[in-house]
Amino acid sequence: EIFKMRLLTHNYMQSTVKGTENGYPLQIEADKIEYEESPFDPDFVIALIPKIEYKTILFAVQQIAERCSTDLPSEIQLPDLPETIEKDDNSEYDKELLKKLHVVLLDIHVVQGHLVCPGTGRRFKITQGIPNMILHEDEI
Amino acid sequence: FITADQESVLLAALTGPNAPWAPSQQNFSKTGSVKRRVQHYGYVFDYETANVLRDRDSDGIDAKCPPMPSLPMDCAGCCDEELESFANDSVKNGDGWNVLAAVIEKVRRYQFQDEATSNLDNQDVVDNSVVSEEGARGNDGGIVATKTNPIRAAPLSFPNINQITVNEYKRGQGIGSHIDTESAFGDGLISLSMGSDCVMEFRSKEGTKKLVHLPPRSLLLMSGPARFYWSHQIVTRMTDCVDNKVISRRTRVSLTLRTAISLADESGNTSPLHIVESSSFPPKWGDARNNASDDTSDIATPETERSHVHAVYDAIATQWHHTRGKRGVLWPGATQFLKELPTGSIVADVGCGDGKYFPAIWEAGSYVIGTDISEPLLQTSIGACSDFESKLGPESRLISSVRSGLNARPAVAVADCMQIPMRTNSCDAAICIAVMHHLSTTPRRLQCLRELARVVKPGGRINVQAWALKQDEASKRKFAGTDVFVPFNAQPRYLKKVQNSPIERSKGNNLKERTTKCQGVAEMYSEAYDGAEYDERKGLVVFQRYCHMYREGELEDLVSHINNLEIEHSGFESGNHFVIMKVV
Repeated sequence: EIFKMRLLTHNYMQSTVKGTENGYPLQIEADKIEYEESPFDPDFVIALIPKIEYKTILFAVQQIAERCSTDLPSEIQLPDLPETIEKDDNSEYDKELLKKLHVVLLDIHVVQGHLVCPGTGRRFKITQGIPNMILHEDEI
Repeated sequence: FITADQESVLLAALTGPNAPWAPSQQNFSKTGSVKRRVQHYGYVFDYETANVLRDRDSDGIDAKCPPMPSLPMDCAGCCDEELESFANDSVKNGDGWNVLAAVIEKVRRYQFQDEATSNLDNQDVVDNSVVSEEGARGNDGGIVATKTNPIRAAPLSFPNINQITVNEYKRGQGIGSHIDTESAFGDGLISLSMGSDCVMEFRSKEGTKKLVHLPPRSLLLMSGPARFYWSHQIVTRMTDCVDNKVISRRTRVSLTLRTAISLADESGNTSPLHIVESSSFPPKWGDARNNASDDTSDIATPETERSHVHAVYDAIATQWHHTRGKRGVLWPGATQFLKELPTGSIVADVGCGDGKYFPAIWEAGSYVIGTDISEPLLQTSIGACSDFESKLGPESRLISSVRSGLNARPAVAVADCMQIPMRTNSCDAAICIAVMHHLSTTPRRLQCLRELARVVKPGGRINVQAWALKQDEASKRKFAGTDVFVPFNAQPRYLKKVQNSPIERSKGNNLKERTTKCQGVAEMYSEAYDGAEYDERKGLVVFQRYCHMYREGELEDLVSHINNLEIEHSGFESGNHFVIMKVV
């Protein structure tokens, strides 16, 4: 059993290398991506919407599409996401949108690869789904 | 001479994480190195030349041992009762260095009585015993004291004590027969024994042998012929025989107080060297200047934490996880804190270890991102709770299948709490449990709090918990000092492979073959980790974890230094201090 890094997790992660004003969002260099379907709970997704940095979700999806070193597994259909998330006329979220968000936040996993600091280019390795964010002494 | 509590606190300081051990040295006859660990205060005693290094500024850093611990300013000139009271207050505060300062002052003031006896078979234990030639009575000093036949004579005291050597004798270690260098030290060698009994052997120049039993907490005075004429030694063996009973030796720590003297002038006179002392603790080698550090190095990982926290958890990760149930249920305050979180909260679990609190967070309908410095420990958090499903209660806010999904793939990253790899103001809450007591300096503790305050958004809440110096009344556990080593008994079969250990590198063969031989693995870890020892009798590797035990109010005081943190609630529960705060 191994760990896998969701894009929801990536949404919160930043580089803390000394001297970088800009450590977020981390670029994703994926060597291995997996899709693992999980049960859909619309209330949970709705609760997450105000917490996430949505632009980063779009960015992460784009990173995976463009910078995956291997072909994406066939079961991964990167959902087509809108520019912004908005409620419909009934002040609710469209169910299809919630399902897409669910897939993108929780079911697409980076298993191997690197996270890259946008400010310094420093690469943080992801091994067996666990990113190693420990800085070297000269980076503190 | 000292109480059992004073002994515990002294030992915790003298053999604890801040103990200023001297670099190892060759012995006088250069036949090998001095194997015992030693410390010097005031002036270094150099084993190669068997003399005192009088010039603290010469010989580079090796002559600049820590100063003699001294009493704080407001205690100078206090009376004996006040001194004892200060010593006991220091014991309550787990403050070993202040206890040491009090003991030094007590010895300087002590009036040793000359007591004569002709009964040399009587080796009664007394608080101060002095060894003599057979049949000697009185005037030269140096007499075996017994309770049966004391004769009062001139008072004898040593107010100019300016040098201390601490010797640690592990089971089976001893010290060769010698007379302390005459030109180095004046009369009056005083030794406080702690931790174990032992029997010291005295030999006169004619070959007469005397045995003196030194029980723990006793004070030994060697004066006159006992100091200048009789040599003394501790035989290297595992037991001693006292009154026809065999006493097993344990680790013994002796504190020897001496008066170092100047070289003789033309008239042959000497005088005591001036006292080099300080009430700044913990005592350190070298200049105070060298110990100051700039901002960044203030939070760099100290060696103590590397070898006594990080390396230990890396090694014991598997056993730690397997025995988690034994180490107690989740701390109630923390689970309450998590239950109060709104559904869908993002929680940072900083120093999450094996993910002990993950299930509670999922049950609260929230998403946790855990970080820890130990990768092996993080790896045990997968399926963080194997009986997770069965623990679900009616208050669980996520549907069970979602929780299982989260449980199967916990979100974790390897990271140092000094630099939490999360964006500013992104989390709704953070917990930091059993982490602060592994941070060894104030700047690091502040940095951890600062980082927690940074990643949690304004209005969010943080829960920090750490071990308390004062434990529950009912608890058997008692911490003897504020900075201590807490042992962890590791079974070799659980110990994980160590990358880059010296034995690993030299052998280079398959770990599986080696792990079946428990002793081999244990030896590998004993060498790989500084301070770990192999207990042959129990077949366990004993790691020493560095811990800082918090005094009442100490955590709150640290939090008060962080401007955007406001304390909501703090207290003591189950042997821990906790603080719940809000980011403002």
